[in-house]
Amino acid sequence: MNVFGSGPGIERRVNVANNDVDVIVAPRGSSRPPGIISWFRSVAIAIRSLLTGMRVTAGYLFGRDKVVTQQYPENRETLEMNERFRGRLKLTHDDNGYMNCNGCKFCEIACPNQSIIIKDRRNPVNDKSELDQFIWRLDTCTFCNACIQVCPHDALEWGQDFEGAVYDRRLLVYTLNSYAGPQARLIERAIKKDEQPEELKATIEPRSRYGTGVPLAGDELPGVPALGGEDKEST
Amino acid sequence: MTAPIRTLDDRIRPSDTPDSPLDTQEYFINMGPQHPATHGVLRLMLKLDGETIREVIPVLGYIHRGIEKMGEAMTYRQFVHLTDRIDYLSALVNNWVVARGVEVATGTETNDRIEYIRTIFAEIERIQSHMLWWGVLGMDLGAFTPFLYGFRDRETLTDIFEETIGCRLTMNYIQPGGVMHDLHPNFVKRTKAALAYSKSKLHEYEELLSGNVILQERTRDVGILSAEDAVALGVTGPPLRASGVAYDLRKVEPYGVYDRVDFRTAVGSVGDCWDRYWVRVEEMRQSIHIVEQLIDNIPEGKTMLMKPAKKIVIPEGVYYNQMETARGILGMVLVSDGTSDKPYRIHLRSPNFNNLWALDAMSRGGRLGDLVANVSSLDLVVPDIDR
Ligand code: SF4
Ligand code: SF4
Repeated sequence: MNVFGSGPGIERRVNVANNDVDVIVAPRGSSRPPGIISWFRSVAIAIRSLLTGMRVTAGYLFGRDKVVTQQYPENRETLEMNERFRGRLKLTHDDNGYMNCNGCKFCEIACPNQSIIIKDRRNPVNDKSELDQFIWRLDTCTFCNACIQVCPHDALEWGQDFEGAVYDRRLLVYTLNSYAGPQARLIERAIKKDEQPEELKATIEPRSRYGTGVPLAGDELPGVPALGGEDKEST
Repeated sequence: MTAPIRTLDDRIRPSDTPDSPLDTQEYFINMGPQHPATHGVLRLMLKLDGETIREVIPVLGYIHRGIEKMGEAMTYRQFVHLTDRIDYLSALVNNWVVARGVEVATGTETNDRIEYIRTIFAEIERIQSHMLWWGVLGMDLGAFTPFLYGFRDRETLTDIFEETIGCRLTMNYIQPGGVMHDLHPNFVKRTKAALAYSKSKLHEYEELLSGNVILQERTRDVGILSAEDAVALGVTGPPLRASGVAYDLRKVEPYGVYDRVDFRTAVGSVGDCWDRYWVRVEEMRQSIHIVEQLIDNIPEGKTMLMKPAKKIVIPEGVYYNQMETARGILGMVLVSDGTSDKPYRIHLRSPNFNNLWALDAMSRGGRLGDLVANVSSLDLVVPDIDR
């Protein structure tokens, strides 16, 4: 018997709140009997226990196949995230590059942190409400996935990019959509039914990442100059 | 059974009978809020007589975020994601408590697939939480190696989460009416591989730390918490079981599919740090055993039974519901006024809050150096205490 008493537990059956519960009781080992010989024995056991632990660590020291450390950021090119990884919010686009979002604000309502601000506008051609600006506040987003879950048009998805650190917090609030205009579905339908597709496409206006209308981004802060309309930060 | 109520004044008053023959004086020192061994921003005021602890007075509030209050301004579905952040190492069980509370209150039945998925994830999370605790305990007691090994092995389990859920820590996965995503096609394969790996590593843990003479000397008969004290203080989870009370909600009031699996409750007999240590290591084995029984039998079915965009309105009333996280019993009181889709009041009974007060009972009369072992063996997550 090991004096230190690590090892398998003792199985028993006890009654708890009128239920029979199978328990397994922690081993206690045995206490050292008095005497000089048992003292030497316990010292030997103690030393052996230290050597056993060192054998494990030595196995890692000399076992080259056991290396688990990844060399980030050197391995950026080969790094692959899981497909469901929640990196950075993105709008989805169809094959022609038109976005699926129609500015219905379901995601804005579902977001627990008010991290999404949707601005709508009315299209002069088909007189339908459509997305003007999709503002996403990365700084307050908790990556809870609620927006993607509720979106009825599958217009949102997670990107795989996780390197979001910037030097200016205003850069964390930005416009997600690259253009304001009708949803992909409406453009497709207009082309199919030939309902003024060219006029509809002509209503599309570009939107920049840190353009106007974004809270914080663009604005001047005490001692910090305004950012201006262009992308100051790639990615 | 009641514990005597002592005010702060009682606690800081000098003791009448210092049992030292020398003319000594009691004094106070602060441990924390920035102390590596308190695992977060927990402050302990220690009343000491030399190196002997006379009193441990926890001071709270350094990481209070008002999560319960914030919940009142959120819909039930939105509140789930905040519960990730109370005890971040049991995020899925926290989600589940809210989800089940809402389901019970609205009378929603879930299907077997949902319950299987929830149970499997809850157990995987328990293993990863205990692995992290194991590493941190090793580090607190002066061994740096376990810390690295614990984190390394936990990675294989958080990879399972990342593949299906997309997140590793704060997941917002279990929701009222189901779970957020269906399982990833790779899930069963990856989980089996990870369990096999974890099993082999548990053997390594045993060699590296459990049998180690230093760990044994520092945990044996240190910080003894009697079963009476544990029950009176409302201690739950592994610390309660280590004191010899085999109370595990998974056995006593089974939820999920725990009534369909075979596992044993690990208990201790003395209630010292060693028992708490062993109980958690054994729980990892039992959790692996539970997942192994379930992983091949996940039935088919839908994984979300409520429409995500639909309002959830709970009938007027007070609802309570509790579950066993990796640290003890998490309970949620939910008060609804029956008209809005937001809770009128939410209160959480968090396991760490009650477990924390056992620290005084187990450390009093002991040495200052043993306090670190006691804190570590309680496995406190401070954001859960303050909420
Ligand atoms: S992203 Fe989806 S939910 Fe949000 S406004 Fe666009 S279509 Fe609506
Ligand atoms: S992930 Fe959650 S917090 Fe972030 S924008 Fe979407 S709903 Fe809001």
